[in-house]
Amino acid sequence: MAGKGGAAPSTYSPSPTTQKTKSRIFGNDDVDWVRSDGREFHQCRPAFFKTGAVNAAAGSAYAEFGNTKVIVSVFGPRESKKAMMYSDIGRLNCNVSYTTFATPVRGQGSDHKEFSSMLHKALEGAIILETFPKTTVDVFALVLESGGSDLPVVISCASLALADAGIMMYDLVTSVSVSGLGKNLVIDPILEEESYQDGSLMLTCMPSRYEVTQLTITGEWSTPKINEGMQICLDACSKLAVVMRACLKGPDSTLEE
Amino acid sequence: MALPDASGDVLSEMDVDAFRRLFPLRFFETHLVKSTRPDGRSLAEARETSSALGAVASADGSALVKIGSTRMLAAIKMEVMTPSKESPDEGCIAIDFHMPPICSPTVRPGRPAEAAPVVSKQLSDTILRQVKCLSCCSFCGMINLKELSLISGKAAWMAYLDIYCLDADGALFDAALLSAVAAFSHLQIPVVSMNDDGKVVVLSGDHGGKEPVNKGKRKLTLSSIPLSLTCLLHKNYILADPTAEEESVMETLVTVVLDSSGQLVSLYKPGGPVLAYTSAIQDCVALTRQRARELQTILDEVTSGMEVD
Repeated sequence: MAGKGGAAPSTYSPSPTTQKTKSRIFGNDDVDWVRSDGREFHQCRPAFFKTGAVNAAAGSAYAEFGNTKVIVSVFGPRESKKAMMYSDIGRLNCNVSYTTFATPVRGQGSDHKEFSSMLHKALEGAIILETFPKTTVDVFALVLESGGSDLPVVISCASLALADAGIMMYDLVTSVSVSGLGKNLVIDPILEEESYQDGSLMLTCMPSRYEVTQLTITGEWSTPKINEGMQICLDACSKLAVVMRACLKGPDSTLEE
Repeated sequence: MALPDASGDVLSEMDVDAFRRLFPLRFFETHLVKSTRPDGRSLAEARETSSALGAVASADGSALVKIGSTRMLAAIKMEVMTPSKESPDEGCIAIDFHMPPICSPTVRPGRPAEAAPVVSKQLSDTILRQVKCLSCCSFCGMINLKELSLISGKAAWMAYLDIYCLDADGALFDAALLSAVAAFSHLQIPVVSMNDDGKVVVLSGDHGGKEPVNKGKRKLTLSSIPLSLTCLLHKNYILADPTAEEESVMETLVTVVLDSSGQLVSLYKPGGPVLAYTSAIQDCVALTRQRARELQTILDEVTSGMEVD
Protein backbone atom coordinates (compact mmCIF):
# COMPACT_ATOMS: atom_id res chain seq x y z
CA MET A 1 0.00 0.00 0.00
CA ALA A 2 2.68 2.48 0.99
CA GLY A 3 5.21 3.53 -1.59
CA LYS A 4 7.89 1.24 -0.24
CA GLY A 5 7.56 -2.30 1.00
CA GLY A 6 7.96 -3.48 4.56
CA ALA A 7 5.98 -2.62 7.65
CA ALA A 8 4.16 0.69 7.54
CA PRO A 9 6.24 3.26 9.37
CA SER A 10 4.62 4.78 12.41
CA THR A 11 3.36 8.24 11.74
CA TYR A 12 2.01 11.11 13.79
CA SER A 13 -0.07 14.13 13.04
CA PRO A 14 1.92 17.35 13.14
CA SER A 15 -1.02 19.37 14.45
CA PRO A 16 -1.04 20.16 18.17
CA THR A 17 -3.75 17.73 19.27
CA THR A 18 -3.84 17.99 23.03
CA GLN A 19 -4.41 21.44 24.32
CA LYS A 20 -3.82 20.66 27.98
CA THR A 21 -4.58 24.19 29.05
CA LYS A 22 -8.22 23.49 29.65
CA SER A 23 -10.64 26.21 28.85
CA ARG A 24 -9.40 29.70 29.06
CA ILE A 25 -13.05 30.47 29.39
CA PHE A 26 -14.98 27.30 30.05
CA GLY A 27 -13.60 26.73 33.56
CA ASN A 28 -14.52 30.18 34.77
CA ASP A 29 -18.09 30.11 35.96
CA ASP A 30 -18.59 33.84 36.25
CA VAL A 31 -17.22 34.98 32.95
CA ASP A 32 -19.62 35.63 30.15
CA TRP A 33 -17.91 33.92 27.26
CA VAL A 34 -18.83 33.70 23.64
CA ARG A 35 -19.03 30.41 21.78
CA SER A 36 -16.24 30.02 19.26
CA ASP A 37 -18.68 29.99 16.34
CA GLY A 38 -20.49 33.06 17.64
CA ARG A 39 -23.73 31.33 18.56
CA GLU A 40 -25.76 32.02 21.65
CA PHE A 41 -25.87 29.28 24.28
CA HIS A 42 -29.33 28.12 23.29
CA GLN A 43 -28.88 28.52 19.56
CA CYS A 44 -28.44 25.50 17.30
CA ARG A 45 -26.22 25.41 14.25
CA PRO A 46 -28.09 25.94 11.00
CA ALA A 47 -29.31 22.54 9.89
CA PHE A 48 -29.24 21.40 6.28
CA PHE A 49 -30.99 18.24 5.13
CA LYS A 50 -31.29 16.63 1.73
CA THR A 51 -33.05 13.40 0.90
CA GLY A 52 -32.15 11.07 -1.95
CA ALA A 53 -28.40 11.47 -1.48
CA VAL A 54 -27.62 7.87 -2.49
CA ASN A 55 -29.31 6.44 -5.59
CA ALA A 56 -28.41 2.84 -4.85
CA ALA A 57 -30.38 2.90 -1.58
CA ALA A 58 -34.12 2.58 -1.03
CA GLY A 59 -34.00 5.83 0.87
CA SER A 60 -31.25 8.14 2.00
CA ALA A 61 -30.52 11.49 3.53
CA TYR A 62 -27.58 13.83 3.95
CA ALA A 63 -27.36 16.13 6.95
CA GLU A 64 -24.98 18.98 7.60
CA PHE A 65 -24.83 20.83 10.91
CA GLY A 66 -21.84 23.16 10.75
CA ASN A 67 -18.88 20.85 10.21
CA THR A 68 -20.78 17.71 11.15
CA LYS A 69 -21.60 15.94 7.91
CA VAL A 70 -23.47 12.65 7.78
CA ILE A 71 -24.97 10.37 5.13
CA VAL A 72 -27.54 7.72 6.02
CA SER A 73 -28.73 5.03 3.60
CA VAL A 74 -31.72 2.77 4.19
CA PHE A 75 -31.99 -0.61 2.46
CA GLY A 76 -35.01 -2.82 2.54
CA PRO A 77 -37.33 -4.13 3.72
CA ARG A 78 -35.36 -7.11 2.45
CA GLU A 79 -34.52 -10.68 3.33
CA SER A 80 -32.75 -11.08 6.67
CA LYS A 81 -29.18 -12.15 5.99
CA LYS A 82 -28.66 -13.79 9.34
CA ALA A 83 -30.45 -17.11 9.60
CA MET A 84 -32.92 -16.19 12.24
CA MET A 85 -36.15 -17.57 13.57
CA TYR A 86 -39.50 -16.65 12.13
CA SER A 87 -40.63 -13.26 13.27
CA ASP A 88 -44.00 -11.69 12.59
CA ILE A 89 -42.56 -8.23 13.04
CA GLY A 90 -39.79 -6.66 11.02
CA ARG A 91 -36.20 -6.28 12.17
CA LEU A 92 -34.20 -3.12 12.30
CA ASN A 93 -30.46 -3.30 11.73
CA CYS A 94 -28.30 -0.23 12.32
CA ASN A 95 -24.67 0.55 11.73
CA VAL A 96 -22.72 3.76 12.23
CA SER A 97 -19.22 4.16 10.85
CA TYR A 98 -16.75 7.01 10.46
CA THR A 99 -14.47 7.87 7.58
CA THR A 100 -10.80 7.81 8.50
CA PHE A 101 -10.60 11.55 7.88
CA ALA A 102 -13.72 12.41 9.89
CA THR A 103 -11.83 13.20 13.07
CA PRO A 104 -9.01 15.71 13.57
CA VAL A 105 -6.63 12.81 14.29
CA ARG A 106 -6.80 10.17 11.57
CA GLY A 107 -8.72 7.01 12.32
CA GLN A 108 -10.13 7.98 15.71
CA GLY A 109 -13.70 7.52 14.55
CA SER A 110 -13.66 3.82 15.36
CA ASP A 111 -13.87 4.78 19.03
CA HIS A 112 -17.62 5.15 18.70
CA LYS A 113 -18.61 1.50 18.64
CA GLU A 114 -21.66 2.10 20.84
CA PHE A 115 -23.29 4.44 18.31
CA SER A 116 -24.76 1.60 16.24
CA SER A 117 -26.73 0.22 19.14
CA MET A 118 -27.69 3.70 20.37
CA LEU A 119 -29.06 4.51 16.91
CA HIS A 120 -30.99 1.26 16.89
CA LYS A 121 -32.54 1.96 20.27
CA ALA A 122 -33.40 5.53 19.38
CA LEU A 123 -35.28 4.53 16.22
CA GLU A 124 -36.82 1.21 17.25
CA GLY A 125 -39.73 2.75 19.13
CA ALA A 126 -40.76 5.01 16.26
CA ILE A 127 -40.87 2.45 13.46
CA ILE A 128 -44.02 0.40 12.89
CA LEU A 129 -42.21 -2.94 12.68
CA GLU A 130 -45.48 -4.83 12.10
CA THR A 131 -45.62 -3.43 8.55
CA PHE A 132 -42.70 -5.52 7.27
CA PRO A 133 -42.87 -8.96 8.91
CA LYS A 134 -40.08 -11.50 8.33
CA THR A 135 -37.84 -8.90 6.72
CA THR A 136 -35.09 -6.54 7.76
CA VAL A 137 -34.62 -2.84 7.26
CA ASP A 138 -30.96 -1.81 7.27
CA VAL A 139 -30.01 1.68 8.36
CA PHE A 140 -26.37 2.48 7.62
CA ALA A 141 -24.78 5.77 8.58
CA LEU A 142 -21.42 7.18 7.56
CA VAL A 143 -20.00 10.20 9.35
CA LEU A 144 -18.08 12.08 6.67
CA GLU A 145 -16.84 14.72 9.04
CA SER A 146 -17.15 14.87 12.78
CA GLY A 147 -17.81 18.36 14.09
CA GLY A 148 -19.53 17.59 17.39
CA SER A 149 -23.02 16.30 18.30
CA ASP A 150 -22.44 13.45 15.84
CA LEU A 151 -24.93 10.97 17.26
CA PRO A 152 -27.91 13.35 17.43
CA VAL A 153 -27.29 14.36 13.81
CA VAL A 154 -27.03 10.70 12.78
CA ILE A 155 -30.32 9.88 14.52
CA SER A 156 -32.25 12.77 12.98
CA CYS A 157 -30.76 12.07 9.56
CA ALA A 158 -31.60 8.35 9.86
CA SER A 159 -35.26 9.06 10.58
CA LEU A 160 -35.38 11.29 7.51
CA ALA A 161 -33.79 8.53 5.40
CA LEU A 162 -36.37 6.06 6.73
CA ALA A 163 -39.14 8.44 5.75
CA ASP A 164 -37.53 8.81 2.31
CA ALA A 165 -37.52 5.01 1.96
CA GLY A 166 -41.23 4.92 2.79
CA ILE A 167 -40.81 2.94 6.02
CA MET A 168 -43.87 3.44 8.21
CA MET A 169 -43.16 5.42 11.36
CA TYR A 170 -45.31 6.91 14.08
CA ASP A 171 -43.45 10.18 13.68
CA LEU A 172 -40.11 11.59 12.61
CA VAL A 173 -37.42 11.14 15.23
CA THR A 174 -35.33 14.15 16.11
CA SER A 175 -32.43 14.35 18.45
CA VAL A 176 -30.53 17.20 20.10
CA SER A 177 -27.84 17.27 22.77
CA VAL A 178 -26.72 19.87 25.29
CA SER A 179 -23.39 20.13 27.04
CA GLY A 180 -22.96 21.36 30.58
CA LEU A 181 -20.04 23.78 30.71
CA GLY A 182 -19.65 25.24 34.16
CA LYS A 183 -22.91 26.95 35.02
CA ASN A 184 -24.05 27.12 31.45
CA LEU A 185 -25.88 24.76 29.17
CA VAL A 186 -24.90 24.97 25.52
CA ILE A 187 -27.04 23.35 22.91
CA ASP A 188 -25.78 21.45 19.85
CA PRO A 189 -22.15 21.56 21.04
CA ILE A 190 -19.24 21.53 18.58
CA LEU A 191 -16.29 19.17 18.99
CA GLU A 192 -14.27 21.61 21.08
CA GLU A 193 -17.13 22.24 23.50
CA GLU A 194 -17.80 18.51 23.81
CA SER A 195 -14.21 17.88 24.79
CA TYR A 196 -14.44 20.36 27.69
CA GLN A 197 -17.93 19.50 28.88
CA ASP A 198 -18.72 18.57 32.48
CA GLY A 199 -21.76 16.64 31.44
CA SER A 200 -23.83 15.80 28.42
CA LEU A 201 -27.53 15.27 27.90
CA MET A 202 -28.91 13.85 24.69
CA LEU A 203 -32.61 13.66 24.07
CA THR A 204 -34.31 11.87 21.20
CA CYS A 205 -38.02 12.32 20.70
CA MET A 206 -41.00 12.17 18.39
CA PRO A 207 -41.99 15.84 18.41
CA SER A 208 -45.59 15.59 17.18
CA ARG A 209 -46.41 12.98 19.77
CA TYR A 210 -44.27 14.63 22.46
CA GLU A 211 -42.77 11.24 23.32
CA VAL A 212 -39.16 10.59 24.22
CA THR A 213 -37.53 7.55 22.65
CA GLN A 214 -34.09 7.96 24.15
CA LEU A 215 -32.50 10.04 26.87
CA THR A 216 -28.88 9.71 27.89
CA ILE A 217 -27.35 11.79 30.63
CA THR A 218 -23.69 11.52 31.51
CA GLY A 219 -21.48 13.51 33.84
CA GLU A 220 -22.35 16.02 36.51
CA TRP A 221 -25.98 17.11 36.63
CA SER A 222 -28.34 18.51 39.25
CA THR A 223 -32.08 17.84 39.01
CA PRO A 224 -33.07 21.40 38.04
CA LYS A 225 -30.33 21.41 35.42
CA ILE A 226 -31.66 18.15 33.97
CA ASN A 227 -35.14 19.63 33.74
CA GLU A 228 -33.81 22.76 32.10
CA GLY A 229 -31.69 20.71 29.68
CA MET A 230 -34.60 18.48 28.71
CA GLN A 231 -36.85 21.43 28.08
CA ILE A 232 -34.27 23.10 25.84
CA CYS A 233 -33.80 19.86 23.92
CA LEU A 234 -37.53 19.27 23.47
CA ASP A 235 -37.99 22.79 22.10
CA ALA A 236 -35.07 22.37 19.72
CA CYS A 237 -36.34 18.94 18.64
CA SER A 238 -39.69 20.32 17.57
CA LYS A 239 -38.00 23.13 15.65
CA LEU A 240 -35.74 20.58 13.96
CA ALA A 241 -38.78 18.53 12.96
CA VAL A 242 -40.14 21.54 11.08
CA VAL A 243 -36.91 21.80 9.08
CA MET A 244 -36.96 18.06 8.35
CA ARG A 245 -40.61 18.08 7.28
CA ALA A 246 -39.91 20.96 4.93
CA CYS A 247 -37.09 18.93 3.40
CA LEU A 248 -39.37 15.90 2.93
CA LYS A 249 -42.03 17.97 1.24
CA GLY A 250 -39.35 19.58 -0.88
CA PRO A 251 -39.72 22.41 -3.35
CA ASP A 252 -40.84 20.15 -6.18
CA SER A 253 -43.40 18.08 -4.27
CA THR A 254 -45.82 20.99 -4.32
CA LEU A 255 -45.89 20.65 -8.09
CA GLU A 256 -46.83 17.00 -7.89
CA GLU A 257 -49.62 17.48 -5.42
CA MET B 1 -60.26 -14.53 -25.65
CA ALA B 2 -57.45 -16.77 -26.80
CA LEU B 3 -54.69 -17.68 -24.43
CA PRO B 4 -51.35 -16.22 -25.38
CA ASP B 5 -49.50 -19.28 -26.62
CA ALA B 6 -46.29 -17.80 -27.91
CA SER B 7 -43.77 -16.27 -25.53
CA GLY B 8 -43.75 -13.21 -27.78
CA ASP B 9 -47.30 -12.47 -26.72
CA VAL B 10 -46.35 -12.67 -23.06
CA LEU B 11 -43.49 -10.30 -23.67
CA SER B 12 -45.58 -7.80 -25.57
CA GLU B 13 -48.02 -7.63 -22.70
CA MET B 14 -45.33 -7.44 -20.08
CA ASP B 15 -44.58 -4.26 -18.22
CA VAL B 16 -41.22 -2.74 -19.21
CA ASP B 17 -39.88 -2.81 -15.67
CA ALA B 18 -40.82 -6.45 -15.23
CA PHE B 19 -39.14 -7.29 -18.54
CA ARG B 20 -36.02 -5.45 -17.43
CA ARG B 21 -35.84 -7.48 -14.23
CA LEU B 22 -36.73 -10.87 -15.69
CA PHE B 23 -34.72 -10.75 -18.91
CA PRO B 24 -32.05 -8.13 -18.25
CA LEU B 25 -29.76 -9.30 -21.06
CA ARG B 26 -32.51 -9.25 -23.69
CA PHE B 27 -33.64 -5.90 -22.36
CA PHE B 28 -30.19 -4.45 -22.94
CA GLU B 29 -29.74 -6.15 -26.30
CA THR B 30 -32.94 -4.64 -27.66
CA HIS B 31 -31.40 -1.28 -26.86
CA LEU B 32 -27.96 -2.14 -28.18
CA VAL B 33 -29.17 -3.05 -31.68
CA LYS B 34 -30.55 0.48 -31.90
CA SER B 35 -27.14 1.83 -30.76
CA THR B 36 -28.60 3.27 -27.61
CA ARG B 37 -28.78 2.50 -23.90
CA PRO B 38 -31.64 2.48 -21.39
CA ASP B 39 -30.51 5.82 -19.91
CA GLY B 40 -30.57 7.45 -23.34
CA ARG B 41 -26.84 7.54 -23.93
CA SER B 42 -25.14 6.41 -27.09
CA LEU B 43 -22.74 3.50 -26.65
CA ALA B 44 -19.55 5.55 -26.56
CA GLU B 45 -20.93 8.30 -24.37
CA ALA B 46 -19.85 8.73 -20.74
CA ARG B 47 -22.18 10.02 -18.06
CA GLU B 48 -22.21 13.58 -16.86
CA THR B 49 -19.19 14.22 -14.69
CA SER B 50 -18.57 16.89 -12.09
CA SER B 51 -16.12 17.59 -9.33
CA ALA B 52 -15.92 19.82 -6.27
CA LEU B 53 -12.83 20.56 -4.22
CA GLY B 54 -12.46 21.06 -0.49
CA ALA B 55 -15.51 19.10 0.63
CA VAL B 56 -13.85 17.93 3.86
CA ALA B 57 -12.62 20.69 6.14
CA SER B 58 -10.76 18.34 8.49
CA ALA B 59 -8.48 17.08 5.69
CA ASP B 60 -5.50 18.78 4.01
CA GLY B 61 -6.92 18.13 0.58
CA SER B 62 -10.22 16.71 -0.57
CA ALA B 63 -12.47 16.30 -3.56
CA LEU B 64 -15.93 15.02 -4.35
CA VAL B 65 -16.47 13.51 -7.78
CA LYS B 66 -19.68 12.50 -9.45
CA ILE B 67 -19.94 10.37 -12.58
CA GLY B 68 -23.63 9.85 -13.21
CA SER B 69 -24.83 8.72 -9.82
CA THR B 70 -21.51 7.16 -8.83
CA ARG B 71 -20.06 9.38 -6.17
CA MET B 72 -16.59 9.38 -4.60
CA LEU B 73 -15.20 11.40 -1.73
CA ALA B 74 -11.41 11.49 -1.51
CA ALA B 75 -9.49 13.15 1.28
CA ILE B 76 -5.79 13.43 2.08
CA LYS B 77 -4.38 13.74 5.57
CA MET B 78 -0.73 14.57 5.97
CA GLU B 79 1.21 12.96 8.79
CA VAL B 80 4.90 12.91 9.62
CA MET B 81 7.08 9.82 9.56
CA THR B 82 10.72 8.89 9.73
CA PRO B 83 11.81 7.94 6.21
CA SER B 84 13.33 4.53 5.61
CA LYS B 85 17.10 4.13 5.34
CA GLU B 86 16.92 3.11 1.67
CA SER B 87 15.22 6.35 0.66
CA PRO B 88 16.00 8.98 3.29
CA ASP B 89 14.74 11.87 1.17
CA GLU B 90 11.41 10.45 0.08
CA GLY B 91 7.97 10.60 1.60
CA CYS B 92 5.25 8.06 1.27
CA ILE B 93 1.69 7.81 -0.01
CA ALA B 94 -0.77 5.30 1.41
CA ILE B 95 -3.88 4.81 -0.69
CA ASP B 96 -6.99 3.10 0.55
CA PHE B 97 -10.33 2.65 -1.16
CA HIS B 98 -13.38 2.03 0.99
CA MET B 99 -16.85 0.85 0.15
CA PRO B 100 -18.92 1.59 3.26
CA PRO B 101 -22.29 -0.17 3.58
CA ILE B 102 -24.12 3.04 2.64
CA CYS B 103 -22.92 2.90 -0.97
CA SER B 104 -24.63 -0.21 -2.28
CA PRO B 105 -27.23 -2.80 -1.25
CA THR B 106 -24.65 -5.55 -1.76
CA VAL B 107 -22.23 -4.32 0.89
CA ARG B 108 -22.99 -5.23 4.51
CA PRO B 109 -21.18 -4.05 7.61
CA GLY B 110 -18.42 -6.37 8.76
CA ARG B 111 -18.15 -7.95 5.31
CA PRO B 112 -16.09 -5.67 3.10
CA ALA B 113 -16.98 -5.59 -0.59
CA GLU B 114 -14.88 -7.79 -2.83
CA ALA B 115 -14.33 -4.98 -5.30
CA ALA B 116 -12.78 -2.62 -2.73
CA PRO B 117 -9.29 -4.20 -2.38
CA VAL B 118 -9.08 -4.63 -6.17
CA VAL B 119 -9.77 -0.96 -6.83
CA SER B 120 -7.42 -0.05 -3.97
CA LYS B 121 -4.57 -1.99 -5.57
CA GLN B 122 -5.26 -0.58 -9.05
CA LEU B 123 -5.22 2.95 -7.62
CA SER B 124 -1.92 2.40 -5.81
CA ASP B 125 -0.37 0.93 -8.94
CA THR B 126 -1.54 3.85 -11.06
CA ILE B 127 -0.67 6.69 -8.71
CA LEU B 128 2.59 5.34 -7.28
CA ARG B 129 3.82 4.22 -10.67
CA GLN B 130 7.24 5.87 -10.66
CA VAL B 131 8.58 3.20 -8.35
CA LYS B 132 8.60 0.82 -11.27
CA CYS B 133 10.23 3.00 -13.90
CA LEU B 134 13.21 4.51 -12.16
CA SER B 135 15.41 3.25 -14.97
CA CYS B 136 14.10 5.44 -17.81
CA CYS B 137 14.62 8.87 -16.25
CA SER B 138 15.02 10.45 -12.86
CA PHE B 139 11.30 10.78 -12.42
CA CYS B 140 8.27 10.01 -14.53
CA GLY B 141 5.29 9.33 -12.31
CA MET B 142 2.40 11.49 -11.16
CA ILE B 143 3.91 12.54 -7.87
CA ASN B 144 7.57 12.93 -7.03
CA LEU B 145 7.96 11.36 -3.60
CA LYS B 146 11.03 13.56 -3.05
CA GLU B 147 8.68 16.53 -2.76
CA LEU B 148 7.27 14.91 0.36
CA SER B 149 10.60 15.04 2.14
CA LEU B 150 10.97 17.48 5.04
CA ILE B 151 14.38 16.88 6.60
CA SER B 152 16.48 14.26 4.84
CA GLY B 153 16.74 11.08 6.91
CA LYS B 154 14.76 12.58 9.80
CA ALA B 155 11.27 13.51 8.74
CA ALA B 156 9.07 13.17 5.69
CA TRP B 157 5.41 13.36 4.89
CA MET B 158 3.15 10.37 4.85
CA ALA B 159 0.13 11.25 2.75
CA TYR B 160 -2.87 9.14 3.67
CA LEU B 161 -5.30 9.19 0.79
CA ASP B 162 -8.65 7.64 1.65
CA ILE B 163 -11.34 7.36 -0.98
CA TYR B 164 -14.89 6.58 0.07
CA CYS B 165 -17.50 5.42 -2.36
CA LEU B 166 -20.71 7.17 -1.32
CA ASP B 167 -22.88 5.82 -4.09
CA ALA B 168 -21.84 2.87 -6.25
CA ASP B 169 -23.28 2.91 -9.76
CA GLY B 170 -20.57 1.42 -11.92
CA ALA B 171 -17.18 2.61 -13.18
CA LEU B 172 -15.87 2.80 -9.61
CA PHE B 173 -12.21 2.87 -10.59
CA ASP B 174 -12.68 5.81 -12.98
CA ALA B 175 -14.46 7.88 -10.36
CA ALA B 176 -11.98 6.90 -7.64
CA LEU B 177 -8.97 7.83 -9.79
CA LEU B 178 -10.49 11.15 -10.79
CA SER B 179 -11.28 11.99 -7.15
CA ALA B 180 -7.74 11.02 -6.13
CA VAL B 181 -6.21 13.28 -8.76
CA ALA B 182 -8.56 16.12 -7.82
CA ALA B 183 -7.76 15.70 -4.12
CA PHE B 184 -4.01 15.89 -4.84
CA SER B 185 -4.53 19.04 -6.88
CA HIS B 186 -6.42 20.56 -3.92
CA LEU B 187 -3.82 19.48 -1.35
CA GLN B 188 -2.30 22.26 0.73
CA ILE B 189 0.64 20.98 2.73
CA PRO B 190 0.67 22.52 6.22
CA VAL B 191 3.60 24.79 7.12
CA VAL B 192 5.60 23.03 9.81
CA SER B 193 8.73 23.49 11.86
CA MET B 194 10.86 21.29 14.12
CA ASN B 195 10.29 21.80 17.83
CA ASP B 196 12.85 21.25 20.59
CA ASP B 197 11.92 17.57 21.06
CA GLY B 198 12.70 16.85 17.43
CA LYS B 199 9.04 16.55 16.56
CA VAL B 200 7.51 18.29 13.60
CA VAL B 201 4.65 20.62 14.50
CA VAL B 202 2.31 22.84 12.55
CA LEU B 203 3.14 26.51 12.70
CA SER B 204 0.30 28.79 13.64
CA GLY B 205 -0.22 32.15 11.98
CA ASP B 206 2.50 34.11 13.76
CA HIS B 207 5.14 31.34 13.29
CA GLY B 208 6.16 31.80 16.98
CA GLY B 209 9.66 32.88 15.99
CA LYS B 210 10.39 29.50 14.42
CA GLU B 211 11.64 29.01 10.90
CA PRO B 212 9.35 26.80 8.82
CA VAL B 213 11.16 23.83 7.29
CA ASN B 214 8.99 23.59 4.20
CA LYS B 215 8.62 27.18 3.10
CA GLY B 216 7.31 27.51 -0.42
CA LYS B 217 6.62 23.80 -0.77
CA ARG B 218 2.93 23.77 -0.05
CA LYS B 219 1.74 22.28 -3.32
CA LEU B 220 2.76 19.08 -5.02
CA THR B 221 3.74 19.22 -8.66
CA LEU B 222 1.50 16.86 -10.54
CA SER B 223 3.29 15.85 -13.68
CA SER B 224 1.49 13.53 -16.06
CA ILE B 225 -1.96 13.09 -14.61
CA PRO B 226 -3.45 9.62 -15.12
CA LEU B 227 -7.06 9.50 -16.34
CA SER B 228 -9.11 6.47 -17.10
CA LEU B 229 -12.17 5.06 -18.78
CA THR B 230 -13.84 1.74 -18.15
CA CYS B 231 -15.53 0.08 -21.11
CA LEU B 232 -17.81 -2.88 -21.16
CA LEU B 233 -17.51 -5.49 -23.89
CA HIS B 234 -20.54 -7.42 -25.02
CA LYS B 235 -20.54 -9.31 -28.30
CA ASN B 236 -19.30 -6.67 -30.76
CA TYR B 237 -20.54 -3.74 -28.71
CA ILE B 238 -18.34 -1.48 -26.64
CA LEU B 239 -20.17 0.46 -23.95
CA ALA B 240 -18.24 3.33 -22.35
CA ASP B 241 -18.66 4.19 -18.65
CA PRO B 242 -21.12 1.42 -17.64
CA THR B 243 -23.63 1.71 -14.83
CA ALA B 244 -23.83 -0.85 -12.02
CA GLU B 245 -26.76 -2.54 -13.75
CA GLU B 246 -24.88 -2.83 -17.05
CA GLU B 247 -21.83 -4.18 -15.21
CA SER B 248 -23.91 -6.85 -13.50
CA VAL B 249 -25.61 -8.00 -16.72
CA MET B 250 -22.65 -7.92 -19.08
CA GLU B 251 -19.54 -8.83 -17.20
CA THR B 252 -16.49 -8.13 -19.34
CA LEU B 253 -14.75 -4.90 -18.37
CA VAL B 254 -11.71 -3.20 -19.82
CA THR B 255 -10.15 -0.27 -17.97
CA VAL B 256 -7.63 1.86 -19.80
CA VAL B 257 -5.52 4.49 -18.03
CA LEU B 258 -3.72 7.15 -20.05
CA ASP B 259 -1.49 9.95 -18.81
CA SER B 260 -1.64 13.61 -19.84
CA SER B 261 0.63 13.04 -22.82
CA GLY B 262 -1.66 10.30 -24.09
CA GLN B 263 0.67 7.45 -23.20
CA LEU B 264 -0.74 4.20 -21.94
CA VAL B 265 -0.28 3.81 -18.18
CA SER B 266 -2.18 0.64 -17.61
CA LEU B 267 -4.80 -1.63 -19.09
CA TYR B 268 -6.89 -4.00 -17.06
CA LYS B 269 -9.08 -6.68 -18.47
CA PRO B 270 -9.86 -8.84 -15.47
CA GLY B 271 -11.15 -11.87 -17.37
CA GLY B 272 -14.85 -12.01 -18.15
CA PRO B 273 -16.78 -14.15 -20.63
CA VAL B 274 -15.95 -12.03 -23.68
CA LEU B 275 -12.53 -12.48 -25.24
CA ALA B 276 -11.35 -9.25 -26.76
CA TYR B 277 -9.73 -8.87 -30.15
CA THR B 278 -6.93 -6.38 -30.64
CA SER B 279 -9.30 -4.10 -32.51
CA ALA B 280 -11.67 -3.94 -29.52
CA ILE B 281 -8.78 -3.02 -27.24
CA GLN B 282 -7.69 -0.34 -29.71
CA ASP B 283 -11.22 1.04 -29.77
CA CYS B 284 -11.22 1.18 -25.96
CA VAL B 285 -7.94 3.11 -26.00
CA ALA B 286 -9.35 5.53 -28.56
CA LEU B 287 -12.45 6.10 -26.44
CA THR B 288 -10.25 6.66 -23.38
CA ARG B 289 -8.17 9.21 -25.27
CA GLN B 290 -11.31 11.19 -26.01
CA ARG B 291 -12.61 10.81 -22.45
CA ALA B 292 -9.26 11.86 -20.95
CA ARG B 293 -9.56 15.19 -22.78
CA GLU B 294 -13.04 15.71 -21.31
CA LEU B 295 -11.83 14.86 -17.82
CA GLN B 296 -8.82 17.15 -18.18
CA THR B 297 -11.14 20.05 -19.01
CA ILE B 298 -13.28 19.29 -15.96
CA LEU B 299 -10.18 19.16 -13.74
CA ASP B 300 -8.83 22.41 -15.18
CA GLU B 301 -12.14 24.13 -14.51
CA VAL B 302 -12.33 23.14 -10.84
CA THR B 303 -8.69 23.90 -10.11
CA SER B 304 -8.81 27.28 -11.81
CA GLY B 305 -11.95 28.05 -9.80
CA MET B 306 -9.96 27.33 -6.67
CA GLU B 307 -7.14 29.72 -7.50
CA VAL B 308 -9.56 32.62 -7.95
CA ASP B 309 -10.80 32.23 -4.36
